[in-house]
Amino acid sequence: MTTKDSRLTGAGVRRRGDRTSVLPDVDDLTDPGSSHGRRASGQARREALAAYGFLTPWLAGMLLLTLGPMAYSLYLSFTRYNLLTPPEWQGLANYQRMLVDPRFKASVGVTLEYVAVAVPLILIVSMLVAMVLNQGIRFLPFYRASFYLPSLVGASVAISMLWRTMFGGDGVFNAFLARLGIEGQSWIGNPDTALYSLVALSVWTFGAPMIIFLAGLRQVPKELYEAAMVDGAGPLRRFFSITLPTLTPLIFFNVLLTTVNAFQAFTPAYVISNGNGGPLDSTLFYTLYLYQRGFTQLEMGYASAMAWALTVVLGLFTAFMFATARFWVYYGDER
Amino acid sequence: MMSPHTRPRRRALGLVAGAATFTLVLTACSGGTRVGETTQESAAPEASGAEAGLGDVEGTLRIAYWGSGPRVDLTNGVSDLFVAENPGVTVEPESADFAAYFERLNVQGSSGNLPCVPQMQGRQLASYATQGALMDLDPLIESGAITVPDIPEEVIDTGRGPDGGLYFIPYGAAYDAVEINATLAEQAGVGLPEEGYTWEDFGEYITEAQGSLPEGIAAANLGGGLPNYFIAWTQARGEEMFEDDQIAFSEETLAEFWTFWEDLRNAGATSTAQQRAEEPPQTEQRYVAQGKVMLDSVPGNALTPGQATLSGLAPGQELTTVAMPSGEGGSGNVLFTSGWAISANCDNVPTAAAFIDFWANNDEAAALFASNNGGVTNTRHLQQQLDNPELPALKKHELELYQQVIEAKPPTVSYPAGYQANFETAFNRAYETVSLGGTSPEDAAAAFIAEVNAAFGAQ
Repeated sequence: MTTKDSRLTGAGVRRRGDRTSVLPDVDDLTDPGSSHGRRASGQARREALAAYGFLTPWLAGMLLLTLGPMAYSLYLSFTRYNLLTPPEWQGLANYQRMLVDPRFKASVGVTLEYVAVAVPLILIVSMLVAMVLNQGIRFLPFYRASFYLPSLVGASVAISMLWRTMFGGDGVFNAFLARLGIEGQSWIGNPDTALYSLVALSVWTFGAPMIIFLAGLRQVPKELYEAAMVDGAGPLRRFFSITLPTLTPLIFFNVLLTTVNAFQAFTPAYVISNGNGGPLDSTLFYTLYLYQRGFTQLEMGYASAMAWALTVVLGLFTAFMFATARFWVYYGDER
Repeated sequence: MMSPHTRPRRRALGLVAGAATFTLVLTACSGGTRVGETTQESAAPEASGAEAGLGDVEGTLRIAYWGSGPRVDLTNGVSDLFVAENPGVTVEPESADFAAYFERLNVQGSSGNLPCVPQMQGRQLASYATQGALMDLDPLIESGAITVPDIPEEVIDTGRGPDGGLYFIPYGAAYDAVEINATLAEQAGVGLPEEGYTWEDFGEYITEAQGSLPEGIAAANLGGGLPNYFIAWTQARGEEMFEDDQIAFSEETLAEFWTFWEDLRNAGATSTAQQRAEEPPQTEQRYVAQGKVMLDSVPGNALTPGQATLSGLAPGQELTTVAMPSGEGGSGNVLFTSGWAISANCDNVPTAAAFIDFWANNDEAAALFASNNGGVTNTRHLQQQLDNPELPALKKHELELYQQVIEAKPPTVSYPAGYQANFETAFNRAYETVSLGGTSPEDAAAAFIAEVNAAFGAQ
């Protein structure tokens, strides 16, 4: 029976003793019918047990390490909890506090600005580099690995400290500017520019989306370009009419992933600002403030509420992306 | 009508739902064994009465402390001496950097799993003592389980919580000092401040030095965001820092402190606000250790590592430390001590008490540890170390200054619960609104006091 047939005859209906089924049919297990039925039920039971056996580690991990703590943190978000004494239920108080907390608002502002600036830059730079690498240049594997490398180490403490050295008052960047006759400043110590030094760090780690774009570019059928060239299309026209539409599934994927990652950025701000989000809260990322509230100020209830607010926002963003995808994402197999 | 498939599907769903509920209940319940609830029951019989803390010294003892590198080796070395003297005891050490240490302690506390003997410091103490996480050690001193004949009472008192209970026995006392690049000060023709110098003298000293320092070197590192400078400022005026878990100093006092630093900054006698904002936090990486500024306030025990950095970057230049500025209210120096506590969930109190007693009294242990975490609080040990001809000169200077500070009977500051989290970080941020944001010192002081009092009130 094909899938289509099964849909026609009723969703999910299985026949007794259907050996293609993995889930056990409980009626089979208890049916005292024919010997064929008993053999089949024994087989099904063994298969089911094997299936659950293989599933158990994942299921246990999912329940104990992910869903369980998440549900508990949802409960904590309605409590006042300082880690050392039992949580006290206080309803929506944590969520109400967020609305009047000036540092919460500051962290939201900083994070939104970071996402709005960093995500487009990362995507544009990674696509441009991918297009350059797609030109069939020599030593491509070397360049590809070189450009990918920063994304492996970019979120590490060591690189964050290197960034301090790069963009500090006595840093390498200022030395470079001085050669051009431009007087530099402390890019990390100035509240007007500190966030942009972190944006630069995130743009530098464009490797992951670049690799994905590069893989996508290699899948674009060459015949399309050839046909377009025969019709007299220039490079720009080819890019906007062939490359960009063909890449939209990957753009969709990269926008989603890069945005979600940007909302959760933590390590660079933590290391570069010594954990305080300074100067003047100019690098106070949402997750950094959440961390301060939870682990420094021991307000785990408030931190949990913040975490759930972020989860909801990211969920809404993801839903929005999927809802709008059909208007702008082009899959090759669609008409 | 029920389809043939409905029952098994329901069972499968029921299985998943049952497992999920079980998990949630499990995780929710596992959070229930917390320090304040359970542990006092088990600890209570041993923690009071004439026999408090007395018993067989044996079994496993979990201890935890902050520090890295050499301090880990020294602390573990003292543990080895303790084990050698008490066969049958096993010491399990846990160590981490200062900030990570307290974060881990909080998580351990949440599951009732604090180490038996955690290291404590006065500024964090109230956060744990007020939550019932630590045992009151007064009964253990009364019973003789812990003896502290050679530790001055005012030093012991730094281990007391807001309720007056004694929650840790200080073994090392640090103090804040003004660290000065003596070579640069000599070149600038200002020498060192005289003993007993006031804040006014300090300001004049910095301004005078700036006039003769080489281009690009500031006389002082900008200090308006350093809480320890401000504590010295209030003590010199005879003002209390805190009372009833609220800020006790006035807005004017704070505004004047920030104005003091703003005047110096605007006169070009300090590092800039931006430079200050990007300064590395490690004591050995601070600007004064790099030779970029002539002076700064650092913990007294930062002299040796600071000199090691400076010797590498500017060979020949020498650092030294002097006491903090004073005033009509008295010495500006306060002690912040580190010591050992016993957690309320400790199930091996006699061994924990014996371990702390060993740290407080054993000569060999003190000689090995060599005041690595502030001057040793036992006065006999202090004298032994000062008399040791092999003591490095910088360490000797550090201990002599400590002796000078302690002779002045330094005041004890009682820090409210949440001091470190709510006061220290907010203090620097509030000063940044002045130095970087252009807010007036008066407005910033009012906003800071309101913010911190609200945070203390919510503890």
